Amino acid sequence: MIETFHQLKPYSLSKEEKQERLFGELKELTEYHREHCKEYARFLESVGYDQDNIKTCEDIPFFPVRMFKECDLMSIKPEDVFKTMTSSGTTGQKVSRIYVDKENAMVQQKVMVRILGDYIGKKRIPVLVIDTPSVLKDRSKFSARGAAIIGLRVIAKEMVFALNDDMSLNQEVFEAFLQKYQDSFFLIFGFTFIVWQHFYKVLDEKTHKYDLSNAFLMTGGGWKKLASQSVTNGDFKNSFGKLCGIHHFLDHYGMVEQTGCIYAECECGHLHASIYSDVIVRNPMDFSPCKIGEKGIVQVLSVLPRSYPGHSLLTEDEGVILGEDDCPCGRKGKYIRIFGRMKSAELRGCSDTYGTGS
Amino acid sequence: MLNLGGAVIPMEQDLDKNVFQKIQFLVGSKKNLMQSGKLRALPMFSQKMTDFLADLSRMLLSDERAKDYVDVISYAYWIRNSSLLKERDKYHDRDSRLGRGIAFHIAPSNVPVNFAVSMTSSLLAGNGCIVRVSDKPFMQVSLICEAINRLLSEKYKALEPYFCILRYPHDESITQYLSSICDIRIIWGGDQTILKIRKAVLPPRAIELTFADRYSLALVDADAYLKEDPEKVAEKFYTDTYYTDQNACSSPRIVIWFGNEKARARECFFRTLEKKVEREYCMQPIMAVDKYASFCSLAMKTGGIRLLKGEGNRLMRVEVQKLTEELMENKPGGGYFFEYEASKLTDILPLLAKGCQTVSLLGIDAGTVKEMIIKYGVRGVDRIVAMGKTMDLEFVWDGFRMIEAMTRIIYVGEK
Repeated sequence: MIETFHQLKPYSLSKEEKQERLFGELKELTEYHREHCKEYARFLESVGYDQDNIKTCEDIPFFPVRMFKECDLMSIKPEDVFKTMTSSGTTGQKVSRIYVDKENAMVQQKVMVRILGDYIGKKRIPVLVIDTPSVLKDRSKFSARGAAIIGLRVIAKEMVFALNDDMSLNQEVFEAFLQKYQDSFFLIFGFTFIVWQHFYKVLDEKTHKYDLSNAFLMTGGGWKKLASQSVTNGDFKNSFGKLCGIHHFLDHYGMVEQTGCIYAECECGHLHASIYSDVIVRNPMDFSPCKIGEKGIVQVLSVLPRSYPGHSLLTEDEGVILGEDDCPCGRKGKYIRIFGRMKSAELRGCSDTYGTGS
Repeated sequence: MLNLGGAVIPMEQDLDKNVFQKIQFLVGSKKNLMQSGKLRALPMFSQKMTDFLADLSRMLLSDERAKDYVDVISYAYWIRNSSLLKERDKYHDRDSRLGRGIAFHIAPSNVPVNFAVSMTSSLLAGNGCIVRVSDKPFMQVSLICEAINRLLSEKYKALEPYFCILRYPHDESITQYLSSICDIRIIWGGDQTILKIRKAVLPPRAIELTFADRYSLALVDADAYLKEDPEKVAEKFYTDTYYTDQNACSSPRIVIWFGNEKARARECFFRTLEKKVEREYCMQPIMAVDKYASFCSLAMKTGGIRLLKGEGNRLMRVEVQKLTEELMENKPGGGYFFEYEASKLTDILPLLAKGCQTVSLLGIDAGTVKEMIIKYGVRGVDRIVAMGKTMDLEFVWDGFRMIEAMTRIIYVGEK
């Protein structure tokens, strides 16, 4: 059971130990969801699932994460849904719906705190959120942005939102926060693109320079949007270092479909899988597992999802496993790099004059 | 703006600002559009037009650059003189037919040569044509337009007013203007495109041909198949499907098996195909996820299907236990095939709904299939062809005799 994981440090298991524990839990979860979610049971039947043929984590069936956009997948009674988390899709796109009960929500938070604790310590700290408070307005529907922020609440001594509803910097709030916490250790959190666009660029234009050298800058949400402005992860760090003295960064990879199990970036710039989760990179041509160093489609495994069948998911991201158990930072487990979303398909044949146009 | 019978016709100064500035003419000019109302219709299969097309064929076939484009070559071959004359002789009442006026074609964005194919029918019918081509800069489009321009500037100056091949950014006012001066509008779909373009009103007497989203099937007699050369059959089926990423309306999405030795035939058919596909087909990585997602979605929603494991993801086979029209909405393309074992021909009736376009056959008699369609008053199926022929260029498409549909007939009363 998952409780046994809580007794271990989040990056303490080496390959064999981790595989054994993870496999046992994932296999049990597969059976659990088969019994509790009829859509998932149909899926298993259609891929020819046979419990006896599941010998390693790689054998656990997986389905594309976009299934949460097409089907309501839950392994709990509808009346036990505590919150529904949605992915932040742009208007018109379908969004993922993830159904979480009270118990699962607690586990997600606990794991998030444990993983973050490994990087920033266990003490509660002040958090400056680079976003608008309205991102949390509809409490019954958490977007990916909202869910990440809510998750951080548990580690926050005080949480302050730095942006107004129109995404402009709330100067008053920002300065008050700094006055109070500038000299102590604090966390700045936001989505990569928002932090760059609505925080870095704004500070850069000001004549007054702020000293944020005591801050940990935690980001998430990927680099694609910034790459289109030719800003790399490295540029991002250098720029913030020069502008306001930030030298602690904590980027992370994660998704609303596996909330809690984040892949956080260590001092060496590697994203790490904790004991609660794992990554398999698969070859697009046959879904066979790639070796270390081979680029492929990222599959994520997590022991957390119990209220919905999200323990083994194929993402649409490309990534690579850089190594296992041997990152210079000392953390055990696989460490990865994410290249971002795969290019969407362009097919020949007859199709929309408008659909594929501008 | 003038409002005539529902269609809003912009005045010339508005046109200059809103329409002509945004149009890029590949062939023809603004003048041709302005004077299109006075253009004389030509007789069906007029000598001038068949000569022009035959010369276009020659010019393309002798263009070194065109040799790299199979689609340009097959188009050129399709419009060579003998092929046109053979087609002409099928229309016995052609002496009483002539063009309706102006044909406005809206070509699809990802089939480069389709614009020329569509245009050809309207020219043979005797119409002037306005053809909107895709924004994407296809070499095929440039080659064909260049050849047309050369012909129109030399030997065929008199035909110049009959041509306008153009590009414009998505803009409803331009589509509305071009619609307002046409007599036939031809829209190559996607359903969404058709609905969007239909918002542009047509003049009261104009007609419209639309080519919407369709799906297609392959029927195979297992015993007949086993007597064939598997490599050759794989070649044919590959042409029908992978050649267009299985995304053409005419590409089969399901293979339905008849006969006795179904298991052996299926195994051989797909194993041979897969070898070819693994060797030759370049699959975009995301297609693996798209295809697998289509399968998972269907599995979760309805069940009753089974993923058949093969070598890899370039070929994905999904066995189904029941035929329903909804199955055909599950269509990622890129090499994703349903399979069904039938016991009799009428088992396939549920799939022969309005959306069904082409039925391709191997070892099954076309006449028998046609009789069944007529007997049961089936609403779909416009085409029955042999396996390997689904991509052939035809003057009959989606249930229309294209050339004839773009003419009008003059009825002469009996004495």
